[in-house]
Amino acid sequence: MFDQLPETFRAYKLNADVRTLLQLRQAMDKGLVKTVGDLYYVLKGLVTTSPTDIGPFSKAFYAHFLSIDMVPGESLEDAVVRSGTFKEWKDKLDDDEKLDIPDVDLVNQFLDEVHTTSYDIKNFLSGQDILDKRNPDLEDKEGAIDNAPADRNNILDRMADYRDVPLEDLLKRMREVAKRQKTRHEGGEYWIGSGGVSPYGNGGAAAGGVRVGGSGGGKMARAAINNRDFYPVDAKAPLKDDNIDAALAALKGIEEGSSEIILDVPLTIKEGLKQGGIFLPIEKEKRQQRIQVILMIDNGGWSMSPYIRTVQKLFAKMKTRFAHDLRTYYFHNTIYGGLYSDAARTKFVDLDMVNLQDKNYTVFVIGDADMAPYELHRNSIRDWQKLSKHFNRMAWLNPMTENEWYGSMTCSVVSQIFPMFELTPAGIEAAILEMNRKRSFNDQ
Amino acid sequence: MAVDTMWTGSEKYLCDRELAQAFHMARVIGMPLLIEGEPGTGKTELPLQFAQDMDLDLFVYPVGSKSSVDQFVAKFDHVKYLRDSQVEILNAQRDEKGMKSSLSTGGRHTENLQDYVLKGPATKAFSTPNSVLLIDEIDKAPREFPNDLLYALSHRKLVMPESGEIIEVKEENMPAIVITSNREQELPTAFKGRCVYHYISFPPKETMHEIVEKHYPKMNDELQDKCINLFYQMRSLGLERAPATRELLSWIKYLNSFKKAEALTKVNKVEGMGVLIKNQKDLQKVQTRLMGKNPNNN
Repeated sequence: MFDQLPETFRAYKLNADVRTLLQLRQAMDKGLVKTVGDLYYVLKGLVTTSPTDIGPFSKAFYAHFLSIDMVPGESLEDAVVRSGTFKEWKDKLDDDEKLDIPDVDLVNQFLDEVHTTSYDIKNFLSGQDILDKRNPDLEDKEGAIDNAPADRNNILDRMADYRDVPLEDLLKRMREVAKRQKTRHEGGEYWIGSGGVSPYGNGGAAAGGVRVGGSGGGKMARAAINNRDFYPVDAKAPLKDDNIDAALAALKGIEEGSSEIILDVPLTIKEGLKQGGIFLPIEKEKRQQRIQVILMIDNGGWSMSPYIRTVQKLFAKMKTRFAHDLRTYYFHNTIYGGLYSDAARTKFVDLDMVNLQDKNYTVFVIGDADMAPYELHRNSIRDWQKLSKHFNRMAWLNPMTENEWYGSMTCSVVSQIFPMFELTPAGIEAAILEMNRKRSFNDQ
Repeated sequence: MAVDTMWTGSEKYLCDRELAQAFHMARVIGMPLLIEGEPGTGKTELPLQFAQDMDLDLFVYPVGSKSSVDQFVAKFDHVKYLRDSQVEILNAQRDEKGMKSSLSTGGRHTENLQDYVLKGPATKAFSTPNSVLLIDEIDKAPREFPNDLLYALSHRKLVMPESGEIIEVKEENMPAIVITSNREQELPTAFKGRCVYHYISFPPKETMHEIVEKHYPKMNDELQDKCINLFYQMRSLGLERAPATRELLSWIKYLNSFKKAEALTKVNKVEGMGVLIKNQKDLQKVQTRLMGKNPNNN
């Protein structure tokens, strides 16, 4: 039923709630939903909120309305062939129609019919003169095979009548389609149509082998289901080239833009005095937070090498998009009195020099913090503490998963100095949230 | 507006079926249409072309990092108001002292509060029946903007600040609202929930031919094929900033200024690349992969 629709969609991690149902209802009231294809479009517009929703949405749609459940790893076509819905649809085809047609083509035909929208049908009919279709002479002969256009137009009209049908009835009808109950279609039953899917099924005067076919929606849905781009990226996966954009979106949180306008008190007073005591308020824009980032990358051991390029790419992207100032330092495993300003680690920069930088820099340390215990001696720990004392916003991003941190002694030590997060889009987001919280506390 | 027809594009604009359907749906149920997609795929063009084609009034609000709902709906100009009231006092003082000259308030009167309301595009669109309202690049806005906007758009009523004037629009006169975004920032879920969402997927080759056809109907077929093939090849290279429809059209515009033979050689040599590729690294990639050029010995 429709009232379970939000539940199904939520199971696919989509945003759907009562509002979705109300909006759907509104769309139905306005006559936007006449075929299953229409329903797909309308719900897609209402439910999806990003391209990565389209894949899960299409899956959820097939599962809910057509009882086509895809098991992981299965293609849509295979799932269709496996489904009872398709089998029953196939049974209803005329024998000569399904003769010699491979299942692949039948699946295409089936999906075309599923995604046929009322717009497709109108388009198909628009070749006919509207007046011609209204011609009573033609309507008299309704049912005759050579007058199919008139009949088709009637179907459209009858479909349109459904805007007055209460939602509950629509739900029921929709369910019938899904379950493919074998009832004969008469008059008003054309809503979804005789084939159970298309308004031009088989066995009406209107049939005559009419194929609306090839609608863009069917292709889109199919493309979406089989294309990774239309699925959410795994925010918990380690940073890679393919989830770099998700990480970038997470980094965007550093920026706290505001359009606030505040009163410029000094200037108002100055100008007011010039005006002989008449104070006209002068406003100014609240200064936007400058985004300054320091990166400290451990580029020493082999364990870090897979990540360095991606990390640099990520922050380079960040710089072109929204940061104003980005500095990068390098170290190997841990720091002893300073860092290096080049990747080959030849130019040493004393820690005191680093600490001369503005304390409002946001600092990300990227490293696994996993080393021999003797390497992280007392002086080195003190160096890290110096840094964390100077910079207000500092976070450690670790490419190892959280479980592995506890296995490494040095890692647990470092994580007591800095808040440590996983080097994943989700981890970066968490780091930024944490740092922003700290900042708003410091600002007060 | 009693929306009964689906707008499917104009002479100059090919509105793909899915976009047309989403736009139609948004207009019918009176929700804003939120369009996302790669830059240069015609997001902003939709409302512009629609307004032009249907001869409707268009109001545009380009969003920037300083945008606020005040500017979008209406703003009460407190500074001007205060100035004018000070001017009144000043004028009275001058009058007392017998001074003839007085300061002007530019026709505004402090008693009429609406004189100080600066109306934004939303108010203008809501007071013009059947208009089109474009909110361009909402992802550039400060974070609170979309949520503030939500309130303004979810009622068909706007209340002017201070003056209390109410601008109301009937459901059938509701402007067609189109919001575009380049996905540089994730919009709040609540905001997206109140919009009809459409993601413009990049057009396949066949559609691209139709688009080019719309803009340059007289273009030579051979040249067109070559351009489009090369263009899709470039897109498949995985460039940092892949060229989109806008870039292709500009390139073709450039090529069209030459005779056919000359243009063809230009295509073969991939000249006029500056229009298509806007990044040094990408340029090198194209040169090595598509033209077999070694970047080290130009």
